[in-house]
Amino acid sequence: MYARHGRSSQLMLAGSNVLGSVISLTSNFIAGGAIIAMLSPLSFGAGILIIAAGVLMYTLWSGFRASVLTDFAQVMAMLGAAVIIIPAVFFLAGGPSMFAEGVANGNVTPQQESFFSSDAFMNQGAPYIAAVLAYAIGNQTIAQRLFAVREDLIKPTFITATVGYGGTVIGIGMLGVMALYLGIEPMGGDINNLMPQMVGTYLPVALVALAFIMIIGSLSSTADSDLSALSSIVMTDIYGQSVGRKNVNPKLMLLIGRITMIVATGLALYFATAKFNILDLLVFVGAMWGCLVFPVIASFYWKKVTNLAFSLAVVAALAVFLPVRFTLIPITGAWALVVELLAIIGVGVVLGIMSFGFFGKRVAVIVGTVSMLATLPPSASGSCVTTKRSPARWWPTRSPSWSATCSASGPRRTSTSP
Amino acid sequence: MTALLTAYVLMWPVLVLGILITIARGFAKDAKEAREEGRMII
Repeated sequence: MYARHGRSSQLMLAGSNVLGSVISLTSNFIAGGAIIAMLSPLSFGAGILIIAAGVLMYTLWSGFRASVLTDFAQVMAMLGAAVIIIPAVFFLAGGPSMFAEGVANGNVTPQQESFFSSDAFMNQGAPYIAAVLAYAIGNQTIAQRLFAVREDLIKPTFITATVGYGGTVIGIGMLGVMALYLGIEPMGGDINNLMPQMVGTYLPVALVALAFIMIIGSLSSTADSDLSALSSIVMTDIYGQSVGRKNVNPKLMLLIGRITMIVATGLALYFATAKFNILDLLVFVGAMWGCLVFPVIASFYWKKVTNLAFSLAVVAALAVFLPVRFTLIPITGAWALVVELLAIIGVGVVLGIMSFGFFGKRVAVIVGTVSMLATLPPSASGSCVTTKRSPARWWPTRSPSWSATCSASGPRRTSTSP
Repeated sequence: MTALLTAYVLMWPVLVLGILITIARGFAKDAKEAREEGRMII
């Protein structure tokens, strides 16, 4: 970024990665604390301390090499456990009959029954498409893993990782589908508890231990990558581009990297005590990176994206995103129409960029235009009112959020905040 | 519908098993090469 634009765009991307990695660390500690609290006599506080200490010790000692080596062991444990746990829960919870019984008991709505649910797409699918696209380009933890791959193995690694990661995440999501049909409510109303709850309810002790290893392995894998990324950013983008620019001291650089890991772990532990909803945290980080990533993509193909243009684009995106995400300005009237219009353009841009990667410019323009037209409300005129949505019982779900409902001459349409 | 949902739930662990076997075979091949060349795998 420094070579392409200059100092401010480099620091913006570095700053967003620092915030993103601290939030990612926080969400992983929360997940670890939740499962330890649920499956052992220890408390949530003790759980997050154990996870943080374990990850910090081996990452502090060996840095990125430890991260790569443990990533491999953790991913094998994670995939192996997913292969065993998903069918085990399915058959121990009643097998195929759970679906018919779930429908008969009224546990699912028609939207939840549908494979093509617009509710599920608008509340989960669409935000995640944008978030994952932004993660892939803007996230240092992804970039550092890419550089760790042998050049002749990049393509097979990409395909294996995409299918394996997607299959594991969606597969674990099947526990949520089963919970829905079985009519299970998350313990304490906390969605974070649903997976350990399903595992603890239906599996024998040996398989619970296997699930425990899978979850601890997967969250440690992410946490150690975040710590490596954070130390790398502070060492190269902050120390390396300021004090150390003319006279680098390798020992001081290493010390700064290790202190960064300790401070980041402390911050993440502090935030983890608030027990945020993990999905909300991850969607927020994805959307924040979206503000930075699209100017980066534009700069690959458009030479007019200078340091000033990049910085202004990011600031403008954040200035619109933050008030919408946290409803700092009520989404009513003209403001609701502006937000709605930007969301429609956003749909076209995201799908257009994805198409461009596979099929080139012409197909991308067609896909972008068609998807924008398909997203348009039936009528642009009408009045808008603000309503409070209750959380849908489609797991995993988001916490209640405010949304604008525009009533026009056509059917009602609801816009959701990113 | 029940058969479709059952297939949908169980297809993911089968897919992941395929990936697991692919990774294990790749790792075994790389480990053998590294051992013959007398270096660490990473």
